[in-house]
Amino acid sequence: MTQTKQILHNERVDFTCEKLVLENGLTLLCAPMPGYAGVHAVYGTNFGSVDRAFTQNGKTVKLPAGIAHFLEHKMFENEEGDAFSLYAATGASANAFTGFDRTCYVFTATQHIPEALDILLSFVSRPYFTKDTVQKEQGIIGQEIKMYDDSADWRMMFALLQSIYHNNPVRDDIAGTVESIAEITPELLYECTDAFYTPGNMVLSAAGNITMEELVAAVERQGLRPAAAPAEKLREPEPESIPRPYHEFTMAVAQPTFGIAFKERPVSPAERFRCDVICDMLTELICGDFTPLFRRLYDEGLINSNFAGEVGSGDDYLCFFFSGETSDPEKVRSELLCEIARLKKEGIAKEDFLLCRNLMYGEAVGDLESIENVATTMAGCEMRGETLFEQLEVLASLTLEDVQQTLEQMLCEERSATVVIRPAQKSKG
Amino acid sequence: MQRKQLADGVMLTDIPAERFKTGRITLNFILPSQRSTATAAALLPLVLERSCAAWPDMTEFSKVLAKLYGASLSAESAVYGNRRVISVSISGIKDCYALDGEALSQEYARVLFEVAFRPHFTDGVFDEEALEIEKQKLREALENEINEKRTYCIRQAKRRFFSDSPNGVEKNGYLDEVDGITAQQLTAFYHEMIRSAVIEIMVIGADAAQVGESIAVQLSQVERAPSLPEAPSAMPRTAPLVIKEPMDTVQGKLCLLFTTDAIFNEADEAKLRLATAIYGSLPTSRLFMNVREKQSLCYYCVAGYAPMSGMFMVDSGIEHQNAEKAKDAILAELETLCKVPVPETELEEAKLALCSAMTGVGDSLNGLENWYFGGILKGRIRTPEEAKARIQQISAADIQEMLSHLSLSVAYFLTKEEPTHDAN
Repeated sequence: MTQTKQILHNERVDFTCEKLVLENGLTLLCAPMPGYAGVHAVYGTNFGSVDRAFTQNGKTVKLPAGIAHFLEHKMFENEEGDAFSLYAATGASANAFTGFDRTCYVFTATQHIPEALDILLSFVSRPYFTKDTVQKEQGIIGQEIKMYDDSADWRMMFALLQSIYHNNPVRDDIAGTVESIAEITPELLYECTDAFYTPGNMVLSAAGNITMEELVAAVERQGLRPAAAPAEKLREPEPESIPRPYHEFTMAVAQPTFGIAFKERPVSPAERFRCDVICDMLTELICGDFTPLFRRLYDEGLINSNFAGEVGSGDDYLCFFFSGETSDPEKVRSELLCEIARLKKEGIAKEDFLLCRNLMYGEAVGDLESIENVATTMAGCEMRGETLFEQLEVLASLTLEDVQQTLEQMLCEERSATVVIRPAQKSKG
Repeated sequence: MQRKQLADGVMLTDIPAERFKTGRITLNFILPSQRSTATAAALLPLVLERSCAAWPDMTEFSKVLAKLYGASLSAESAVYGNRRVISVSISGIKDCYALDGEALSQEYARVLFEVAFRPHFTDGVFDEEALEIEKQKLREALENEINEKRTYCIRQAKRRFFSDSPNGVEKNGYLDEVDGITAQQLTAFYHEMIRSAVIEIMVIGADAAQVGESIAVQLSQVERAPSLPEAPSAMPRTAPLVIKEPMDTVQGKLCLLFTTDAIFNEADEAKLRLATAIYGSLPTSRLFMNVREKQSLCYYCVAGYAPMSGMFMVDSGIEHQNAEKAKDAILAELETLCKVPVPETELEEAKLALCSAMTGVGDSLNGLENWYFGGILKGRIRTPEEAKARIQQISAADIQEMLSHLSLSVAYFLTKEEPTHDAN
């Protein structure tokens, strides 16, 4: 059932992890961490909220927004009951999450590890949906959607994505809408699991007090079979233009929230990881704690310490976001654009580049001490065709010229969109 | 774990943590939580974290931390019952992982002590310009509390629950006092903290001997008179207060606050901890399985317990039209647990979940620090193993008994904002 185990060791951080691809196509990743009591396991599929159409066996299937997240909820249930009740007998703490490009099922446990692995693998590998259980979940997820509707940060992120993308499904809320999830049926859910919840599209990753042999044994107990036919994801072409350069709306918040997003051209899979690291560094170089822009806006009372930039990237999208609360969104926007223009013109200071590199390297090293981070990052990297240590090595080899060159091609005002959330006027009682 | 008294009112807790890639040092200044100094206590960490005498410019100081591979320096103010804890902490990667062989640990300790003991003063008081900037940040943070509806609902409920009790002193201070705080007042508060606070130092995966020597040098220059705050107390039972606050929200919120009417001893606290898990903090709890899953009355519904103030809480995200039903269902689950003994399997599974989490305490710096500092605050330091042994002794009757102590004091609803009509 098994092929040769790969052992990956990084001298720089004295860390080892192992990789094994089974004959059924499932990839196993294991990081035994001496001295740790617990195990964190992640069973992930390369199927997330942006996957909205696919072909399998010659048939094209279109999916409503939110179906990956809906599946995440439903995979905790089978004919025998719910997974939480079974996990309770092991003491494990279980959860799951759905992102744009993946869905992961996780547990943390300090005992009964084989039993917890059996529950994880069996529930996620053997879906069970009925009309009644789907209908009940539509109500629960409807409430989850409403909870996020009250979050200014969440609404800002999707308002920005909707402002820069015409068609890319990354613009839709991960949980979908009350209307879109109403379209979900058991049959549609089975079509998704047949296509994407198959060993060749999945990763089992674990870190802590565990060995690869234990993972292999757990998979063997389940007898997982490869998919009968591979599924191919379908993407809609995305124009280069910006559909909505400016948008504002109101919410029950105390002061305005400002956001700006920049739409970039996605890079090839081979370049993606290096590009992500550089883009992350650019956000830090533009508005990180030690930048002149941050200091100026902070001292003028225009931003607080939550103002930050981040990067979103996937197979067919790449974008920057900068957002935070401010009393003067127009001024912050103008100052941010001026700073980007200044860095393009004058160049990034060598000292700032080295500081950023150190800062990001320190964070990457620190992430290797948490069983949750290690197992989750290993799974995420594998799904993107990378290894756990790639960020460290990219950082160690990165040059100022690499970063400057990327900056010159990106963060253009004409490819940006701005969103402002203004406080709603409270009605007079 | 080793505890060592360095001086009167100064203790050092050394937790070796070889397995981690980072180390952490935290200085905790423990004071009585007073209404009169609450706003200064909330403001002080903002000013300390910004800069210090060695690096008075905020940007230059940020560069120092970035150079130390992004060492994380934080100053925070927290309230635990009637105690205020102002902490200054630094964590960063160990020396062996530095790209150029720098001696990082020594630098971490130096930065930490500079921040805590040599603030950026101008003419003997906190720098006016920096203070004014940080006052604005605090003001905005207080004004922005409505942005997070869940937290806002809990805070509003606590305000009614604690009223004027010392346990209810606001962690983030008071909006109407921010403008009036002067550099002199804040400096006086800082000096008083250094003089009178009980200092608890936590060293996790770092050189405790070096930290001990440094603190001895710092404190030798100060006349200290440390005193422990009074023992914590719980709120008395009262008739339940029901408050409905309208707000422009999509999802409603409900926070129920109960008093235990007493600060529990170690044995009773362990029992209530297990009872809380069964009632509402595990994914198999009664609130999750019955109120959310079976009755679909909420999206989240979670119970928690604050041992330093005897406050028990259930907070929930609800549909506006189901608000009353959700409240009734939450209370009905509590009543059932008080009347009907928990089945043996449910009891044992809850014990397993709690004990499993306790076994994992040592798997993170945060876990270790929170566990042992929590024990220090309560005056009873136990290992996870000792706590697990106590959990194992709890019976179904203990669960009934402990939950019967709970008395509902406040039900706070964030409701939908109804359209208003002019009455004229």
